[in-house]
Amino acid sequence: MEYILKNGIVFDPANNIDGEQMDILIKDGIIVDNVSSDAKVLDVTGKLVMPGGVDLHSHIAGPKLSVGRLYRPEDIRRGIKVASGDGIEGFEAGFSVPTCPATGYRYTRMGYTTVTEAAVPPLEAKHAHEEISSIPNLDIPTLTLFGNNWFMLKYVRENNLDKLAIFISKWLKLAKGYGIKIVNPCGSEAWGWGKNVNGLDDAEEHWNVTGREVITSLTKVNEMLGLPHSVHVHTNDLGHPGNYETTLETFDCVKGIKKNKNVDRNQILHCTHVQFHAYKGTSWRDVSSGAPELIDYINRSKHMTCDIGQITFDETTTMTADAPMEYDLYKLTGLKWANKDIEVETASGLIPSIYSKKAPVSVLQWAVGLEFFLGIKDPWKMALTTDSPNGGPFIRYPKVISWIMSTEKLNDMLDNEVHPWATRRTSLGSYDREYSWNEIAIITRASPAKILGLTDRGHLGHGAKADVSVYDIDVNDFDTTLSGNSETLEKKLLNSLYTIKDGKILVNHGKIVELVDSKHIWCNVRGLEDREDELIREITPEFNKYYTIKYENYGVNNHYIKPDNRIDIDYDGGYYEDC
Amino acid sequence: MMVGIMKTVRLFMMKFSAVPLEFDNILPEQLYDKSQKQIEETVIFRGNRKEPLNKYFKVTVEGECNIPEECTVIMDGDLHRVKYIGNSMSCGRIIVNSDVDLHAGAQMSGGHILINGDAESYVGREMTGGLLEIKGNVREFLGSSYAGEWRGMSGGKIVVYKNAGKQVAECMLNGEIYIKGNCDSLAGIHMTGGYLQIDGDVIQWPGGQMKKGDIVVNGCVGEILQGFKKEEKIQNPLINNRYHIGTYTKYVGDMGNRGKGHLWIKENRV
Repeated sequence: MEYILKNGIVFDPANNIDGEQMDILIKDGIIVDNVSSDAKVLDVTGKLVMPGGVDLHSHIAGPKLSVGRLYRPEDIRRGIKVASGDGIEGFEAGFSVPTCPATGYRYTRMGYTTVTEAAVPPLEAKHAHEEISSIPNLDIPTLTLFGNNWFMLKYVRENNLDKLAIFISKWLKLAKGYGIKIVNPCGSEAWGWGKNVNGLDDAEEHWNVTGREVITSLTKVNEMLGLPHSVHVHTNDLGHPGNYETTLETFDCVKGIKKNKNVDRNQILHCTHVQFHAYKGTSWRDVSSGAPELIDYINRSKHMTCDIGQITFDETTTMTADAPMEYDLYKLTGLKWANKDIEVETASGLIPSIYSKKAPVSVLQWAVGLEFFLGIKDPWKMALTTDSPNGGPFIRYPKVISWIMSTEKLNDMLDNEVHPWATRRTSLGSYDREYSWNEIAIITRASPAKILGLTDRGHLGHGAKADVSVYDIDVNDFDTTLSGNSETLEKKLLNSLYTIKDGKILVNHGKIVELVDSKHIWCNVRGLEDREDELIREITPEFNKYYTIKYENYGVNNHYIKPDNRIDIDYDGGYYEDC
Repeated sequence: MMVGIMKTVRLFMMKFSAVPLEFDNILPEQLYDKSQKQIEETVIFRGNRKEPLNKYFKVTVEGECNIPEECTVIMDGDLHRVKYIGNSMSCGRIIVNSDVDLHAGAQMSGGHILINGDAESYVGREMTGGLLEIKGNVREFLGSSYAGEWRGMSGGKIVVYKNAGKQVAECMLNGEIYIKGNCDSLAGIHMTGGYLQIDGDVIQWPGGQMKKGDIVVNGCVGEILQGFKKEEKIQNPLINNRYHIGTYTKYVGDMGNRGKGHLWIKENRV
């Protein structure tokens, strides 16, 4: 099918197109410069046109989502929507942990086409991929958890990076993973004994390995293998007052490591939900924002990127492999708490969280997130996320956009709606920056695609995937800076005029008109197969000793990942350059 | 056009369904402005299938009204497999001359429901207003929260004229519940406010994990949890803006949850 998106106002930052009125031509699922006379014309004159949205950090599939749904039936009751009746859209349920189909519908209506599931333990990867198969309309890479894996810890302790690289390469194949995720390195392992680690240099006592060693080793291995995405790090001490120092040390500990020359991204470390890692103080009584120091570091450095993890003032569900942190949260709030051990690999926890405009700590967290949005000068160094559902569900992205596009709206909130800690304990009141549509397109499309190393999306250049979103916003007439327009803006961004994926119209005037199977995006490193087989022979006895399942039953078989998008990487032994 | 000031919709169950019927849309606010024919054609769920109301019920309409507050729905026959009667009701009146199934009066915010029979579990769940009277017995989770939710009944009044099952008033925030008969275990569990009065006996553990609120037991209590501290005996105490005649022992708890709720037990009955 061929389409011409006629006369839209196009924002395509990767190709330096900043609000130009132009046509986008689509043929056979890609953006082209020429179509036949049979092409169907979609008149989008004056409307906002951007590449399909890319979310680089969200929790949408896997065991913790299932636990969340079972554990919070009261959440499932929110967001109920009956089936459309035309056989396309099915029943929807859930607010912070929606059902799988609802996840696909909602992202698609928002104009998103690629969403990263940010934490999958290899042992549970089959479950995650099964759920991905139940989510329609998205391309979904999964990040595989390695930060507390026993084999990883063993090779780090031995400082055997060659074997670690082979292990990572093989385990990504087994889990059908896209990249390396590190969560509270060594801390989640310590939680197996009811403990945690404090800071980057506190060794986990049984392995005698520190978070610093884990992060630097995995970063080096990531560059040796030349994976498209950098290491994706949830640093130690999440959610603890005073943690900004640990975060700064984490940023700095990989600084000298060189980047693989073959990759498209600029960074060697991606710090995720940085808002949760940016607090000063010694307790929640004297807590304040540590964002200015981190923003200053990010502005000065070239080797790292971040996503925000913005708080959205909702009752939501927090879920993470940082199980000791969830226990701390349980002790703080007393709300119901679930804990799960993933043998040999990681831990996980889950607890509801209520972010209120009247609660000082919630407001501080909200303001810290916005400080990052407004303080980081180069939007290519960050991405918009809420760490969905931890800071708030992904359907709040439009709300966050409405906040950062209007100083008037933010000032209204600071003056009338939120607890005074937002101004007393953070520097949010000192910013007067307002995002343009071009910058919004960067932090929701171009930058996350670039950070993930997905070169075929996040832009509308010729040859790119025809993932396009069009919104019913007359760019030249609609003033996003007015506080009174924020609700309208949010509604329009929640329901796209058209969402096009791979050249197919999935949403037409806010209504889903077609469902397609989601693609499982994963990385396949070529050139290490013999050494991987050798490694497996070597570690199989240990594997069968410590896991309760046999190695033969461990990996994700190909039938779990149909359809897939395999990204082949040829191992070249490392070929580096400065960031 | 002038219309009357009271409308009565009578529903008589002619054909029993073993598969539960769902009545969450048979409410005064939904029926007050509908004709008899429209009411007969109202679609209800039978299990997971949709059926017209008149397949199971004979519908009679008397009078007319302008506002839903003036509409009364009277249900007769064997409705013990009809769920969600009065669910989310906000005004008007429902009278049921039968036993009823799950979730009667759940999430109701106003109006009056009178059940002249027994009720299954989750009656008055998460109620926020209105009056709910049950002349018979009720099963578990009267005036409670939904499974998993930690916020239960937050307003309104429930009166049960016979006995109630386990976990009455679970997670109650506000409102009043009166039980004229006996209660099973854990009445008032996780209460954080409101008033629960049990005129009969409680098998065991009233107020487990409660934080705030008042529980008054005029009968016997099989066992009190250890998290309750005996404070004092009070003659004719003023509780919930009403004097209670007799001598009551006041307990405070549940200390296991750092609670400061009040459990009042009438003298010489423990």
